[in-house]
Amino acid sequence: MASPRRAARRSSPPRRRPRPEPTPPASVPAKIALPPGRSIVFSVNGKTVRRTLGWDVPAGMKLSEFLREELGLTGVKVACGQGACGACTVLLDGRAVLSCMMLLAQADGHAVVTIEGLPADDPVIRAFAEQSAPGHGTALQCGFCTPGFVMTAKALLAENPAPTLEEVRQGLSGNLCRCGCYQGIAQAVLEAARRLREGGAA
Amino acid sequence: MKKPFTPRVRRKFLGQYRPRSDGLEKASGRARYADDLTLRRRFPDLLYARVLRSPYPHARILSIDTAAAEALPGVRCVLTCFDPEVRALRPTNAGWTDGVDTVSYERMMWRRFRDRRVLGDTAHWVGDEVGAVVAAESEEVAEEALRRLKVRWQKLPFVLDPVAAMQPGAPAVHPDIAPNNVLPEDEVGGPDVFLNKGDVDAAFAAAEVVVEADSVHHNPTQGGLDPWCCLCHWTDEGLTVWSNSYEADQTRMHLSQMLDLPLHRVRSVHEFVGGQFGSRDTGDQPFFVFTALLSKRCGRPVKFRYTRRECFHDSRQPAIYHAKAGAKHDGTITALEFSSLGDAGAYADHTMFALKFAPLEVAETTFAHVPNVRCRSLAVYTHRLPGCMMRGVGNSQFNFSMGLLFDKLAERLGMDPIELVLKNFGHEHEGLPNRSLREVLSAGAERIGWKEKRHPPGQGPLLEGERRRGVGFSFHPAWHAEWQELRRGEIQVGLTLNPDGTVLLEAPTVETGTGSNMCNILGCAEALSFLDIQLGDIRFANRVDTAHSLKDCVQTDSAVAYLQSEALVEAARLLQGEILARAAKKLSTDPARLDVREGRIVFRDDSRPSVPLRQLLMQPDIVPISVRLSRPPLSQRTGVPYIATFAEVEVDCGTGKVEVQKLVVVNDCGTVMFASGAEAQQVGGQCIGLGEALTEEIVYDRASGQPLNFNWIDYAIPTMADMPDIEPVLLEVWRGGGAYGACGIGEGTVTCAPRAILNAIYNAIGSRVDELPVKPEKILRALGKA
Repeated sequence: MASPRRAARRSSPPRRRPRPEPTPPASVPAKIALPPGRSIVFSVNGKTVRRTLGWDVPAGMKLSEFLREELGLTGVKVACGQGACGACTVLLDGRAVLSCMMLLAQADGHAVVTIEGLPADDPVIRAFAEQSAPGHGTALQCGFCTPGFVMTAKALLAENPAPTLEEVRQGLSGNLCRCGCYQGIAQAVLEAARRLREGGAA
Repeated sequence: MKKPFTPRVRRKFLGQYRPRSDGLEKASGRARYADDLTLRRRFPDLLYARVLRSPYPHARILSIDTAAAEALPGVRCVLTCFDPEVRALRPTNAGWTDGVDTVSYERMMWRRFRDRRVLGDTAHWVGDEVGAVVAAESEEVAEEALRRLKVRWQKLPFVLDPVAAMQPGAPAVHPDIAPNNVLPEDEVGGPDVFLNKGDVDAAFAAAEVVVEADSVHHNPTQGGLDPWCCLCHWTDEGLTVWSNSYEADQTRMHLSQMLDLPLHRVRSVHEFVGGQFGSRDTGDQPFFVFTALLSKRCGRPVKFRYTRRECFHDSRQPAIYHAKAGAKHDGTITALEFSSLGDAGAYADHTMFALKFAPLEVAETTFAHVPNVRCRSLAVYTHRLPGCMMRGVGNSQFNFSMGLLFDKLAERLGMDPIELVLKNFGHEHEGLPNRSLREVLSAGAERIGWKEKRHPPGQGPLLEGERRRGVGFSFHPAWHAEWQELRRGEIQVGLTLNPDGTVLLEAPTVETGTGSNMCNILGCAEALSFLDIQLGDIRFANRVDTAHSLKDCVQTDSAVAYLQSEALVEAARLLQGEILARAAKKLSTDPARLDVREGRIVFRDDSRPSVPLRQLLMQPDIVPISVRLSRPPLSQRTGVPYIATFAEVEVDCGTGKVEVQKLVVVNDCGTVMFASGAEAQQVGGQCIGLGEALTEEIVYDRASGQPLNFNWIDYAIPTMADMPDIEPVLLEVWRGGGAYGACGIGEGTVTCAPRAILNAIYNAIGSRVDELPVKPEKILRALGKA
C-alpha cells in the first residue's frame, strides 16, 4: 500500500514536507487504486486536516495508520488490523468505527475523534479508570484495549443514555479484552451512564 | 450484589478496594506501549524489518537469490542465513530462564535443547522465521522485497501428530538432539519418571478401587493484544532496544551473550506492555538478534513488529494425559499415577517445565499424604507451532487430568468429590483436612449452590426441551507461593525520601497489567506508615531502563506483587535507620534516642519536643535519603494455599452448545494486597480459561501442515457477550512468610476453569468429553447423536 516513494521521502532528513515528484510508484503494486492527487479535508479532534492522496500520504493509507504515524495519536491502538478486536475504535461523526478497516480517504468530509480528543475529565474515561466496585475487578489491567472500549462506550451512551447490563454486554461485544476485565468494564459503562445522566454533559 | 471480601487484619492501605494507580493513564490513552514509543516521528531515520517465514512445515533452504529484492527502491539490507554474522551465531532457544533469575548462555535453563538457529536455513513449522530478513524504508517495501527473494526450498517430510512422531521412521525434527523425536532426559528436567514415591505397582495391586482417566489438552494461544515489537539501534555507544519483552535484565543479558557485547553496552528500555500471559517465553527470541544485526549493518534504527497472524507464534504445550488412582472403599487414596505425552512442537523451549516442573510441584505439595505416587512425562517434537510459557504453564494441563481423575473416582466410590478431595489432599506441613483447601471448597460450594444443584450425572431436570444443567469444580494448589520463597533469585528494590516527604519507589518490573505496580505502592505506603505518607506522595515509574534501573523482578509465577513488597518492608526499615542517623546529626544527639513516628522525629524519653521530619530535611544541605536493597526471598517453608473454580453450565443436548451460566473463582491469597486488582485477576482469567475450554482452537490442514486460523475471526476469543456471571471470592486462610504473608494469584485463576466446566458438563449430560476444546460436535458425539 505504501510506496517506495513515500519511503524515500521519509528517509531524507531533515524532516520537513518536501514536494514529492508526481510520478506514481512502479515497483510496488498499489492494492487499492484511487485517483492520485485527490485532496481530502476532514477534522481530527476538532482540528482541520488536509491531505492530498498520493502526494502527502499514500492513497491506500489506513485511517489508523494515519492517526498513529502521521499525527502521533497513539491512543489509537492496532492489535489485529483485521477489524476483529476493536482496539482501534474512533468516532466518525459520533459513531464508533474501526479505524484499521477504513481508508484515510473515507474520512473525507467527516469529523474524527480519537481518545486524545476527549476532555481530561471525560466521565467515561474516569469511570474506566476508577472502577473498583467489589465483585467485578477493575475495568482494565494492561490497558491496551481500553481506549477502544472507551470510544465504543462513548458511542453507545450517546445513542442509549440508560443502557441495561445486557445492552452494554451486546454493545461492547465487538471489542476484545484478553485480560478479561469484561465485568469491570460493564460496571464502568453503567457507572459512566449514571454520571452522564446526573451531570448532563456528554 | 456480590459479597465483598473482608480482610483478616485491617490495614491502612493493603487489602482494600481501590482504583489502579495507572488507571487514568491507561483509560485516557496516554500510556505508551512499545509500538507507540518507536514511531518514525521519534526516529526519523527508522527502517522496518520483515522476516521470511516458511511456507512449509519442514524444508531446507538451498539457496537464496537476493538480487531482485535488493534492487527494489527503499530496500536497505537483506540479511540471509548465508551471511557470516548470522552463521557465527550460536544455536539457542527461547527457554533461557523461567524468569526467576537472569541467566547466561552457558547456564540457560534448557541448555540440552538448543534447537533454534537465529535465521537458520531449516524450517520446522509453517511460519518459522528462517532464511532472510529485510530492512527497508517501510514495512510494505520490506514485505515486497521478501516476495522478490528467489528461495530454493528442499521440501522435507513432516509429522504433525505426537504419537505418529514417536513411530520408527517418522521424520526427525531435530535429529541431532532427538533422533526419534522424543526429547532426551536432561539435567534440569530430570528423568522421564520424575517422581516415584513408595511402591506404586504394589499399591495398585492391593487397591480396592482403581479408576483411570484420559484427557487431551490442546494449544490455545496467549492472545495478548499488544503485537510483539522491538526497535534496535546499534551505534558506537552500543545497542539500545525498545521492546515489549517482559524481561528487561534478561533481554540485556540475552543480547549481550548472543552478540558478544559487554553488558554496559546493551540498554533495554520497557514501558507498558499490552498483556503477557506467558507469550514470548521470557524474551529470548531470535528476532531481537536479527533486528540488532540489521541495525548494525545499516547504521540506523530498525523496527521489527509482528502482524496479528505472526503473533500466533507460540502456545500452551498440548499434552495427552493418562491418570490412574487406587483407593480404599472408604475413599482413602493409596496410589496415584500420571503419565503424559507432551507435544513440544517445533522447538522445545519450556516444554519440560510444563510437563515436569509444574506437575512435580503439585504432586509434592497436594499429594503429600498419598503414600504411592508416580509421575512420568515424555515430550515429542513435531512440525507444529512450538509450545511456550502460557499463563498457568503446565498447571492447566495437569489440572485438567487430575480433576477428571478425582471426579471419576468420587463417582465410583459414591462420594461427593469435595469430600474425597478433603479426605486426601493438603501439603506436607499440615495434617488432613487442610484448612485452606477446606475453606476454599466450602466457599465455592456455597456460592455456586453445590448442594442444591448437584445431581447424579445426567439426571437433572430437562429445561426448555433438551437443555440440561450441571455443576462441577476443580481445585489446585497455589504452589508458587512457597516455591518462589525457596527458589527465586535476588529481589532488588530502592526507596528515596525527598526532603519534602515525598518518596521515589524503585521496584522495577515490566508493567504488563498484572497490578503488581499497585501492590508495590500499597506495600510501600504500609511499610512507610511512620512517615505519615499518603499514596499520592509515592512516585512509581512504570518504566524499566537497564541503563538506570535496578534488576527487574520478572512477571512470572504471579510472584512480583509480594516478592517486591516484602523486600520493600526491609528497605523501609533501612530507610528509617538512615533518617534517624541524619536527624541525630542535625539535632546533635544519639540516633538511639530518636524515633520517627507519623512524620515527626520524636525523642524516646520525651526530653525534647518532637520535630516535623520535613522541617529537618529541608535545612541545608538538602539531599534526598536513599536506600537500595538486594536480597533473596525469605526462604520460609510455609506450605501452600489453595484455589478452586466452580462452574454451572447449561448444555443444549439438541445442538451441543454449552453455555456457562456462572463461574465462582476462589483464591486463598494469604493476604489480599489489592482487592480490586485481585478480583480483576479472578474475573479476567476466565476469558482465557473459558476460551480454551470451549471456543479457542488452532486448526491445521493435516495434508500441508498449514495452520488455518491465525486470526481473531476464526480463532474465537470470548467477548463480553460470551462471558458468564463470574463471582470472585478472596480468602485469607493460609499465611505466607514475611510481614504481609501474601501470595500471587494471577496464573492460577486460569488453571481450574476448563476442568471445572467439563466436570459440570458431565454432571449435566452424563457423558464425558475429555478433549479440549469442547465444541458442539463433541457434545453431540458424546451423546451418540453424531
